[in-house]
Amino acid sequence: MGAAPVPAPVPSGLGAGIGLRATHYREFLEGRPATGWLEVHSENYFGTGGYDLHVLRHVRSRYPVSLHGVGLALGSIEDGADRHVAKLKRLADAIEPVFVSEHICWGRARKRHFNDLLPLPYTRPALALMAARVEQLQDALGRRVLLENVSAYLAYRASEMTEGEFVAELARRTGCGVLLDVNNLYVNQVNHGADALAAIHAIPTGAVAEIHLAGHLVTNACVIDTHGDRVVEPVWRLYEAALARFGAVPTLIEWDTDIPPLEVLLAEAARAQSLMSECAYA
Amino acid sequence: MRDLASQQHAFAAALGSAAQAAAAAPLFQGAPDAVLDRLAVYRGNVTANARKALANAYPIVVKIVCDEFFEALAREYLRRHPATSGDLNEYGSALADFTAGFPDTQDLPYLPDVARMEWLLHRAHYAADAAPLDPGGLKAALAQDATQLELRLAPACALLESRWPLARLWEVHQDGYDGAFTVDFDAGPDRILVHRPRYRAEVTALGAGAFRLLERTLANGTIAEALEAALAAEPDFDLAGALRAWVEAGVVVGVNGKKLREQEVITT
Repeated sequence: MGAAPVPAPVPSGLGAGIGLRATHYREFLEGRPATGWLEVHSENYFGTGGYDLHVLRHVRSRYPVSLHGVGLALGSIEDGADRHVAKLKRLADAIEPVFVSEHICWGRARKRHFNDLLPLPYTRPALALMAARVEQLQDALGRRVLLENVSAYLAYRASEMTEGEFVAELARRTGCGVLLDVNNLYVNQVNHGADALAAIHAIPTGAVAEIHLAGHLVTNACVIDTHGDRVVEPVWRLYEAALARFGAVPTLIEWDTDIPPLEVLLAEAARAQSLMSECAYA
Repeated sequence: MRDLASQQHAFAAALGSAAQAAAAAPLFQGAPDAVLDRLAVYRGNVTANARKALANAYPIVVKIVCDEFFEALAREYLRRHPATSGDLNEYGSALADFTAGFPDTQDLPYLPDVARMEWLLHRAHYAADAAPLDPGGLKAALAQDATQLELRLAPACALLESRWPLARLWEVHQDGYDGAFTVDFDAGPDRILVHRPRYRAEVTALGAGAFRLLERTLANGTIAEALEAALAAEPDFDLAGALRAWVEAGVVVGVNGKKLREQEVITT
């Protein structure tokens, strides 16, 4: 295990951005929609060539781009992501992203990958494993990474600390940045009473490098983090609390299912931008 | 079940099968019934993510069998071939062989070959780009002794031979296709080239000579060896015409010297 890297300064002035999805490629190839930055799912650009990479290189020449991974499953007991890390490194070296991020989760067991962001128990062994994997990843990529809190539909009985404490300790041990997903905090609060505001206040002020906002789906069983709707009002209120604590951190609107016209995403991002501006002048 | 490994193994078992969920339920806070409902949400996510990945790689198979049936097909495929990679774009390579043995698709005997074609198209979408060869470069290269040279094909290129009319099946299932929807299933064997002229992968039907020539080329044959295979299949095969068309279409992107290749093989 290497020493924790020195935290890099948070790039300022990025403002609000949106997740780039294939539905909106054409608008970004033909014009220059007004957004501070773009984020993509790393795995969709793991090919050695082709259309997706072409589009990504094009937008990278015009916007800051962040690579957001969904497939490393860092907290899995079973290792086996070397090939995945190598592809991520190749992509990051080619694109020079403003951030590289992944999730605080597991997802692989007994040679099988579930392709989902499965929650970890907030225990010391889980923290030790996550910290070791984050350090390996930072060493392999040669850069600081951001780690995102996930939504969970279940809470482990074995947990020894709160989610906020777990995230804060992971950042302290590894020097990684926190990608604070405010919608996920809200989903966890509704699903099993985790205190979203307490989580925000458990995380040190300098640790948060990026914020995610998204919509979700309310079902009978629980609230599901679909990234398929507008950000709800209670999440905007939590976002204001996060801005008050962490400052005008670069903020991203995520939308992955039932993707609407680009204008809808840009309007959500504009709302985030105006809250960031208020916070900056407060 | 207080250690992380047994927690993950129990959770994993509950994701693989509803029958295993009860054993995992005590790991989680809440009433057992509510916990089982939420484990079912996770199980549904895993299935839905796999299905979406398969549908993305196999759009024509989806059109042929219809959404509802594809959902059942994907669920059974996932049960027998769970994903092993965190990159879902790699998922689904065994679908052709799976459909060949799947009882409910036996009335669609061409489905496995359609799936084989679609997997080649899917891989072609992510294949490395290749700079086109300028026709003058080909002419200059061919001025040497062609017996010692090999054609280099674009990385996206792949070949498939089938008793089913794959090129026609591909054509009629393209978005925006508005011609007749008739397919002659007895048209005889089909030999196709999958390639990606720029960013969109395509299917082209090949004559017997052209197919054998590219097949031999992909197996590292020299131009002379490839031409011999082509002429054996099609005595009046027109090499010059085929090369012109393939260079223009970005299928042939270079000419390698045989000796150079052998040196590369030795050093790797």
